[in-house]
Amino acid sequence: MSYAYLFKYIIIGDTGVGKSCLLLQFTDKRFQPVHDLTIGVEFGARMITIDNKPIKLQIWDTAGQESFRSITRSYYRGAAGALLVYDITRRETFNHLASWLEDARQHANANMTIMLIGNKCDLAHRRAVSTEEGEQFAKEHGLIFMEASAKTAQNVEEAFIKTAATIYKKIQDGVFDVSNESYGIKVGYGGIPGPSGGRDGPSAAAGGCCS
Amino acid sequence: MLESELHDLSDDADYAASQQQGSASMMLRSDSIKQNSPRDGAEVVFTKENVAIHPTQFASERISGRLKLIKQSSALFMTWIPYKGHSTEARLSDNERNLYTIRAVPFTEIRSIRRHTPALGWQYIIVVLSSGLAYPPLYFYSGGVKEFLATIKQHVLLVRSEEDANVFLVNDFQNTLQRTLSSLELPRAVPLACGPSNMSVDESILNENQERADNDVNNGSSSVTHFHGRPRQKVDPARDISIQVLEKFSLVTKFARETTSQLFRENQINGFSERRTPIQTNIDHPRRSSHVEEKTSDESCLALDSQEFDNLSLVWGKPRQPPLGSEEWIIFLDSEGRVTDSEALRKRVFYGGLDHELRNEVWGLLLGYYPYDSTYAEREFLKSIKKSEYENIKNQWQSISSAQAKRFTKFRERKGLIEKDVVRTDRSLPFYEGDDNPNVNILRDILLTYSFYNFDLGYCQGMSDLLSPILFVMDDESEAFWCFVALMERLGPNFNRDQNGMHSQLFALSKLVELLDSPLHNYFKQRDCLNYFFCFRWILIQFKREFEYEKTMRLWEVLWTHYPSEHLHLYLCVAILKRYRGKIVGEGMDFDTLLKFINELSGHIDLDATLRDAEALCICAGENGAARIPPGTPPSLPIDDGSVYAQQDEIL
Repeated sequence: MSYAYLFKYIIIGDTGVGKSCLLLQFTDKRFQPVHDLTIGVEFGARMITIDNKPIKLQIWDTAGQESFRSITRSYYRGAAGALLVYDITRRETFNHLASWLEDARQHANANMTIMLIGNKCDLAHRRAVSTEEGEQFAKEHGLIFMEASAKTAQNVEEAFIKTAATIYKKIQDGVFDVSNESYGIKVGYGGIPGPSGGRDGPSAAAGGCCS
Repeated sequence: MLESELHDLSDDADYAASQQQGSASMMLRSDSIKQNSPRDGAEVVFTKENVAIHPTQFASERISGRLKLIKQSSALFMTWIPYKGHSTEARLSDNERNLYTIRAVPFTEIRSIRRHTPALGWQYIIVVLSSGLAYPPLYFYSGGVKEFLATIKQHVLLVRSEEDANVFLVNDFQNTLQRTLSSLELPRAVPLACGPSNMSVDESILNENQERADNDVNNGSSSVTHFHGRPRQKVDPARDISIQVLEKFSLVTKFARETTSQLFRENQINGFSERRTPIQTNIDHPRRSSHVEEKTSDESCLALDSQEFDNLSLVWGKPRQPPLGSEEWIIFLDSEGRVTDSEALRKRVFYGGLDHELRNEVWGLLLGYYPYDSTYAEREFLKSIKKSEYENIKNQWQSISSAQAKRFTKFRERKGLIEKDVVRTDRSLPFYEGDDNPNVNILRDILLTYSFYNFDLGYCQGMSDLLSPILFVMDDESEAFWCFVALMERLGPNFNRDQNGMHSQLFALSKLVELLDSPLHNYFKQRDCLNYFFCFRWILIQFKREFEYEKTMRLWEVLWTHYPSEHLHLYLCVAILKRYRGKIVGEGMDFDTLLKFINELSGHIDLDATLRDAEALCICAGENGAARIPPGTPPSLPIDDGSVYAQQDEIL
């Protein structure tokens, strides 16, 4: 399947907040509570449509444990979007957001769009972080914010698509030089070539079909 | 050694005779035929005296010997036996002499022969094996290279290489299909490790002939019950042969080091790097013999060019063996249960792995939890001691009250993390599946106990992956714990907070790729991929996520033998990368694409083929490879007395 653009996403956040489950819910539309913990990085991909343009999301799901930060940092390179995830039932995962954000700011490109996700909102009875706190944090740091549930699929689709829409708008506004792949965007067929003139052009569509 | 004494007499006389006769070896040749052919169906078709090797760079320190071609049935074999006791070789020990001896190498195992005719000095040949490895140059002090080649040509297919008139390819079929089939059949045609019984017979006959020929020439009387000092009482003749082959490999490296280091330095100065070929994407090229000979002759293993190893990986024929089973296992034990020859055991496990039911008994030994020389009774005793020791450590965290836990954040965090991870470890396996699976709880208890046993290291993700098969195999909490402890003695640094164990392995890997596949190295360099993070998961958990469970257990026991290297897993990485180099470079993969590609190889790697490649790469890299791996790189034990090198010696 050809795409107009390919966006690279990265999912970050503490271990066990549900990063892999969010990815699986988004790509396969299912919730699998029993799955192996992520070592290193896993990949997922899905096509979405924004403004009638097919856009492919290539999503990197990273390991959350502190020890692996130095490795995880190398994955930020060339990401157009990031989903920063915490678990609303575990306060400490919220407390660690600042350090994740610092990593992202330091190792990703400055225009990366970051979506803050408070996951497991289906577990309202065990909530340890209020929605307002999440909103507040997002506002302070210029992030988009949503609470979601990988289990019920609530807001999962929306989170990924809203991030993509924001990136797409940045392209329209000329924030990115899309011919420069370090922004995490590849132009495929029907995409708008960057100011420097569509280096890849329509031919890049051929590469779009393999995930 | 009885045999040595006999050789003393015969070879001295031989030597003296040959000194007088010069190149009159054709006479001996016909003699040999007459003497041997009617008796055994094996005949010596060519004999040449005064064929020497130069173990050092000084011709005066040469080892002279006798080169023979022997025909048995339709197979042709080559032997080269050094003379004994000549003054120039006075400094050589029997061991060294044995090391250099070439015993009945079949021509099915030889890929090519390169002839060298230096302007000054003696003509010599280099025999390159199918494995890509070469014997040291054989100098024909009495001439006769031409006759040697002519004789071979009468018995096996020998063609001159199109690329180099001095290279003669053995059994090189022009037809690609035939060639492929031929290399595929090598393992069967060369009964090195797969057909022990046949080899044993053939070899004995050949050696017998050798002895008789030697003795007959000198009218000596002797029995033929000895075989060049190689013990025959062992149960697995293939093992002896493997040892011999390995000796040869070590010999190549030793030779390379001693004779070519100077040459290598000169080459470096003269810009030999220019000779390196540019990035080459065609990994399907079955043979490029002239490269191999050129390299082995000029730089040997010191300046390994990638093409050699491409060939190597494709023609490497050392087959994997069936797993070690109970009946054979008993043979490794004395009546009280001691492993009598741990190296032989390790070698056997390396080549075939273990039957599943044996793992429970053997893993503890391989991991170093039980000493090899412990008896059944001692192991039972240790088991009970260790069980109570385990319970003590476990009790340390079990006795933490909830009130205490409230004030013990570190403990709560660890426990929480472990609890989160054990329910995400191999749950699709029957052993760990389902709600409230007791094995999942044991996994948790062991990991938590370990985090108290080794509080500094604590718990890190990936540990549960390493523990899971161990618990599955040991099926006993305490035993699994102590085996895990033994494994973590070596792999613990993988989980250091600063990741230094991982970084040192990734660094060593980059150095090995640089040595073994310079085009790929250059490609990674150009693409800013030299951090090798794409191999992170492979190394962190020993390929656990790349293979199905059974294959993982097989691989682990093979790696734990530390035979032929403690760092075989790094050569395994090189082998896989090499196998896909064409695709990686051809498609111009950048870091992201590469990472994704490597990730998706999971479940698609052929373990046996990769192990064979890795073994070949490891052996061929030899000391040069070992030198690229900094001391203390996991899974080496931490350095305390420089014993890292002793380990190397022990292996070779």
